[in-house]
Amino acid sequence: MNPPEMTDMRTEYSKALIEIGRENPNIVVLGADTTDSLKISEFGKEFPKRFFNVGIAEGNLVSLSAGLAASGKISFASTYAIFLPGRAVDQIRNGVAYPSPPGKKGLDVKLVVSHGGLTVGPDGGSHQQIEDIAIMRAIPNFRVFIPADTFAVSKLTKLMSQEYGPFYMRMARSKTPVVHSESQDFQIGKGITIRDGNDCTIAACGITVRMALEAANSLKQDGISCRVLDIFSVKPIDAELLEKASRETGYIVTCEEHNIFGGMGSAVAETVSERYPSPIKRIGVQDMFGESARDNEVPLLLEKHGITSLNIANQVKELRSKKL
Amino acid sequence: MGLNYYQIKKNVQSARKLVIRATNTAGSGHPGGSFSMAEILGCIFYKYLKYDPKNPTWEDRDRLVLSKGHAAPGLFSNMAIAGYFPESELDTLRKLGSKLQGHPDLKCPGVEFCGGSLGTGLSYSVGIALAGKIDEKTYHVYTIMGDGESDEGQVWEAAMTAAKYKVDNLTAFLDRNFIQQDSYTEKIMPLDENLDGDEPSEMWKDASRWKTGDKWRSFGWNVIEIDGHRIEQIDAAITKANATKGVPTIIISRTIKGKGVEHMEDNPQWHGKASDSDVVPIIYQELDSQFMIAPSIIAGDMTNLENEIKRCVTGRADCIHLDVMDGQFVPNQTFDHAKIKELRPLTIIPFDSHLMINEPVKHIRNYIDAGSDIITVHAEVCDESSFGEIHDLLKQNQIGVGLAINPDTDLPNWSYKFIPTLDQLIVMSVVPGKSGQKYIEKTHEKMRRLQHILIEHKFTGYIEADGGVTLDNIGSIFADGARAFVGGSAIIGQQDVRGAIREFRNHVMRSRRKILLDTANELGGSELVKKWIGLHVVGEKQDQIKKIAQEAKYL
Repeated sequence: MNPPEMTDMRTEYSKALIEIGRENPNIVVLGADTTDSLKISEFGKEFPKRFFNVGIAEGNLVSLSAGLAASGKISFASTYAIFLPGRAVDQIRNGVAYPSPPGKKGLDVKLVVSHGGLTVGPDGGSHQQIEDIAIMRAIPNFRVFIPADTFAVSKLTKLMSQEYGPFYMRMARSKTPVVHSESQDFQIGKGITIRDGNDCTIAACGITVRMALEAANSLKQDGISCRVLDIFSVKPIDAELLEKASRETGYIVTCEEHNIFGGMGSAVAETVSERYPSPIKRIGVQDMFGESARDNEVPLLLEKHGITSLNIANQVKELRSKKL
Repeated sequence: MGLNYYQIKKNVQSARKLVIRATNTAGSGHPGGSFSMAEILGCIFYKYLKYDPKNPTWEDRDRLVLSKGHAAPGLFSNMAIAGYFPESELDTLRKLGSKLQGHPDLKCPGVEFCGGSLGTGLSYSVGIALAGKIDEKTYHVYTIMGDGESDEGQVWEAAMTAAKYKVDNLTAFLDRNFIQQDSYTEKIMPLDENLDGDEPSEMWKDASRWKTGDKWRSFGWNVIEIDGHRIEQIDAAITKANATKGVPTIIISRTIKGKGVEHMEDNPQWHGKASDSDVVPIIYQELDSQFMIAPSIIAGDMTNLENEIKRCVTGRADCIHLDVMDGQFVPNQTFDHAKIKELRPLTIIPFDSHLMINEPVKHIRNYIDAGSDIITVHAEVCDESSFGEIHDLLKQNQIGVGLAINPDTDLPNWSYKFIPTLDQLIVMSVVPGKSGQKYIEKTHEKMRRLQHILIEHKFTGYIEADGGVTLDNIGSIFADGARAFVGGSAIIGQQDVRGAIREFRNHVMRSRRKILLDTANELGGSELVKKWIGLHVVGEKQDQIKKIAQEAKYL
């Protein structure tokens, strides 16, 4: 595979916010002293009256977003992953997800974070959010997106602004490889078959989608035809697509930048085991915390947890004997 | 919307009874905190809040956020009175399938905030207020917070945010009742100045040590400190808050947890507990027996009425009785509307103006303009048409409507139709005209008789006893049915007005306790009497009540 084009998710998020902000005067954006880093301060420059920086106060950030949403606004609240689900889960649960005006589910708040997973790098384990999918997936009324690239970020941001209700979307800190095309369609609860295959399925989300493609590519040389799914919509999850994959390819390897408990891999395993059970191997952080790694060492940190295309390929080969 | 002082007071008491009913039916819930904020909620609901129960999502409505969500029964009771749902729906509180959840919930149309997780309501309110600013709406946000809740750091995050964004379309209330779930706030997490050896249950009595206001001031807020059970203080504070631009306002309201029911007052046990069914009728009776002491300033120095007003203020009178005499309806002459207008700016304590004048309908507008909270005219100089005119004018101007009858007068037939909307009936127990007369004994019998007629005609106001009320007879006049007492020489004639008023109250309280014991004995014999007495665990109440029961041979 050719080296991929690398683009920055935060930049695309910021652009998308400004675009939707121009179309819809009800869009408000809130940050917590990370607004330059998240690049949402750009929105503030164009729409100062619809932009709020509440300082280092994430609980306040979420409750304030809820109050605005309860008064007809569409709130986009953003900071680092570790400080939202990791810190303000009560405000998210009781303040955004639970309050449901008659006929609606939750309040119209979108929590969009950056710096998800291990690739946060040098800031270390305290800043590497590896539990957010588990936390957010367990909260009723929330929908959870893990975009793989900037096309996904841009389209999902717009989609969230048009769809009522609470969403959580996790972006990566570093530039990410482009895996989709501009014409790619994103729908809530619909996974994307990014590459077809019949011998095995690799389910990935976020930065691991590119790894899954690389693994599939190398496995092809071994004569193994891999199906690669981008499960960007972890909740709701595309049960039909997974059932079909299980039936048609006989086993599934998942890979994500998250603890193996409660993440996308768990969601896939839960779904498949109920609808069409087949062997599953989950690759992810092995129930331990991350640690500091300089930017050029991040691949080594990921390797420590087996989050590499090589390990994906190995697991595909290893599990092959148990295939349905 | 926009009720007068007396109607607000009435609704507050109704709401308290509904709280007892709802929590008793539910078998759980939080009466203590519902009662400490009862007057605050009443004043907001019935005087300031713009809302439409038939259109609860009306865009321009004011928003009421109950941050201390456990006091949900208080909110729901007022919503029932305001017409969001029938009172009977309160019986579904905390039950499966009800929109009246254990904590306020958007499931119930009209509720603005899902409470329950403390410390988040102010942030949420700031969000609502900011949305209002973006949309250039004129709605106002009222937020009620608890003092226990102030332990949460997010309250202070929100405080900073509100100051930063100059959220002046928000008024917060701190329901400072000094009690949280475990115990007294000053024991769990002090908000005020806490010294070694302090008795936490007593600390609140020393206002000089209250520092909570300083905290809020240092966060950039406009701070108003009041007695949170005095409607006129709440009223004035909200008016001031709404007129304050550029900064958010917090009204720190000193309140009593469980206020209105003696055994619940200042007792941490009643933070989250429902009353047993056998004591509910006694509590209802207690809540129906709230009373007011109204000193009559003409019993003082007529040449310096300004000073008499000041004495009423320091004496903590509930209202101030102003006897207007024209020298025709009664032989004496005192003052007229011009004097009332002069005295009005001296205090916000309600003015209870008693017009002993001929043809009151001719002068009523002057008295409305002068500023009174209630105006009482004499039945002897009115007929159905003129009183009807007075009645409607006063109601339109949010002023209480009173009717007075002389010792020799009975309620005229024409007056019956006004009884349900009358705020006060003054039963004169002396021939009006001058102070210092003796109580006419046959008034006891008359008042008891009148009380039956009034109940029959759905009277919800106060019977005010006027003339010759003293410490010797106030207890029995209360037992006759009076709930407001004019004190002439027995109060204003005393050196120590505050002490005199306190004594008046103590005597009424004693009479009230006796009446409640009568009820307990009637309903459940000595068992219930004992149980009732046993509920009074704070301070010296228990011994005092036990003594009364022993004297009555109930024990």
